[in-house]
Amino acid sequence: MKMEELAKVTLQNEMDLILAHRRSMRLAELAGLSLSAQTTFATAVSEVARSTIEHGKNGCLILNVSNTQREKYLVARITEDDQRLKANEGLEYAKRLVNKYNISTTGDETSIELYYHIPAPGKLDLRMLDEWRSLFRNEPAVSPYEEIKRKNEQLQDLTQRLKESEHQHKTLTNALPLIIFSLDNKGEIIYANEWLQRFTGFSTDQLNKTKWKEVVHPEDYDAFSILINPHLPQGASVIKTQCRLRHRSEEDYYWHLASISPLNDESGKLLYWTGYIVDINAQKLVEETLHDNRELKETQDRLRQHQVALEKNIAELNRSNRELQEFAYVASHDLQEPARKLSFYSDYLISKYEAALDKKGLDYLHNMQSASRRMRSLINDLLAFAQVEREGLKLSRINLNQVTHDVLQDLEMSIEEKGASVHIDPMPLMEADAGMLHQLFENLLGNAIKYAKDGVQPVVKIWAEQKGNAIRIHVKDNGIGFDEKYLPQMFTLFQRLHSSEKYTGTGLGLAICQKIVALHHGSITAHSQVGEGSTFIVTLPVTQPKGQ
Amino acid sequence: MKENSVSILMVDDDEEDWMLLSDAFEELGYRSCLHYEENGEAAVRYLQRCVEEDSLPKVIILDLNMPRLNGKQTLKHIKSEEALKDIPVIIYSTSLNPREKEECMALGAYTYVIKPASYKDSIETANDFYTLCSGIGKTKEPNL
Repeated sequence: MKMEELAKVTLQNEMDLILAHRRSMRLAELAGLSLSAQTTFATAVSEVARSTIEHGKNGCLILNVSNTQREKYLVARITEDDQRLKANEGLEYAKRLVNKYNISTTGDETSIELYYHIPAPGKLDLRMLDEWRSLFRNEPAVSPYEEIKRKNEQLQDLTQRLKESEHQHKTLTNALPLIIFSLDNKGEIIYANEWLQRFTGFSTDQLNKTKWKEVVHPEDYDAFSILINPHLPQGASVIKTQCRLRHRSEEDYYWHLASISPLNDESGKLLYWTGYIVDINAQKLVEETLHDNRELKETQDRLRQHQVALEKNIAELNRSNRELQEFAYVASHDLQEPARKLSFYSDYLISKYEAALDKKGLDYLHNMQSASRRMRSLINDLLAFAQVEREGLKLSRINLNQVTHDVLQDLEMSIEEKGASVHIDPMPLMEADAGMLHQLFENLLGNAIKYAKDGVQPVVKIWAEQKGNAIRIHVKDNGIGFDEKYLPQMFTLFQRLHSSEKYTGTGLGLAICQKIVALHHGSITAHSQVGEGSTFIVTLPVTQPKGQ
Repeated sequence: MKENSVSILMVDDDEEDWMLLSDAFEELGYRSCLHYEENGEAAVRYLQRCVEEDSLPKVIILDLNMPRLNGKQTLKHIKSEEALKDIPVIIYSTSLNPREKEECMALGAYTYVIKPASYKDSIETANDFYTLCSGIGKTKEPNL
């Protein structure tokens, strides 16, 4: 059944009863009922309404038309917040005046419906009912009371609707996953949704008092403080800033976007600011990650470029090193020939024409001969030095006893000349380049004999100790010795501690030793004191590392 | 017949060295037959002629550092020729590092001699060569 609500009257006092009677009469009249029928319906309604006013609470009359296909009725529904309607005295009388009635209870509310048949309805369409409705609404007030009452009712209705609307908005703003707030022109929060406190853990009052300082990251506070600056310029539009806010339960800060915009009245005067703060941490993280990634890529690119440059430099360095080695080799090799000729011819002249020369000429010739001899030994040493690396290691299992034996033979002349005594302990077998070790021992033993003390028979002792894969060879002499502070430079090229007048030498001997030892993955050092002789110690592996 | 028994082929791009050695021979009073060729290629040609004329040198003195065919290559060639391989070849060089020495001996060099740097040495060297030459044909094992 379809009920069309047309008019409403609250039932509180006698005046309302009169109003209920009037409206019922008017509705019956509009529905085309006879005058007696109008009176009958209005009387029935009045009877029930009176009982409600006397006994009930929050009583209310609603006049309707029940508009079905088959039959049409006027329907008066009287409701009240109490059970007592059931025992409505007026209803006992009213029952007899209407066609049918109905009592129902929903919760606290009880309602009585009185049905009065419309015998000859005219056109009862929606348009007609709307007309009736507005007729009731705009009916001139019969009394000031009715006027006031009507206004009151409208006001209450509006208040109710406003309350509902506000509630809805609150629910809505609280449900949104962002902070919504409004600020007055002093920068203080007027309203904020629940999210502000839920996120920050602070109430709006606390935030106003601390000026948000507990919440906004110190580094971002300056930018953020523009938003709550009471001296914001009039006419500013949207102000946005990014800042980190601290979550109440964690020490962590999260990136947020804060935005406020002014709300002005019609004359352009600022009413207040509305704003929102939204979490952009994820976005920020992605941004940062992308940025880091880009930086990483750039660094990698730079690293690759450096590596390429480095490899180029190394190749260049190796090439120039090889060239230098080759140069040293070729130069020293080819210089041998003219140096030998110089030696030969000066010697020839001395041998064959000594008698034909005066003393000065002979002296000069002798000087020339010794200069060419020095040149030859220098060239020989340079050649040996250049050859060490040029030829590379030619490893084999060698007997050091054989090597030292050969060296002793090669040095036989200078040993005899100095009257030196050389003791060599049994030597071990090892993996090495025989030629290079020959050179090594020749240089060390040669030095031991060369740097002898005046008037003291040179005594040289050579012995070896083996410990695991390491052989330590000692070459000890009783010569002039040296200050150990010169030790580091002694093994570098062209370093000499003594003048060539007293001790001949090229300054290459120990540099060659050092190079040979390094190629064999060993080390060389020495102990000495001036005047106390010296001991050179060579440490070499018994077997060379694989893959060399 | 003595002159003929001392026939030496000297192969060296340094003509001076040949002259010095000749002088030393002369000084010792040996009228030697010291033939000179200035590189390996020329030496090989000369030896070819010797084979044809059946007048091979008794000893070959070979410098290492020469243009065209160098000392080692020449030595290899000599040792590969049936007619030449028995002629003692002496490597004659300003210097010889142990590795070169080893290589030359492995290729079949008879011995090696460092070029003299003094008058006395040059006389001794010439004398050694002469002794070697005159010994060949008399004893199987020449001593130097």
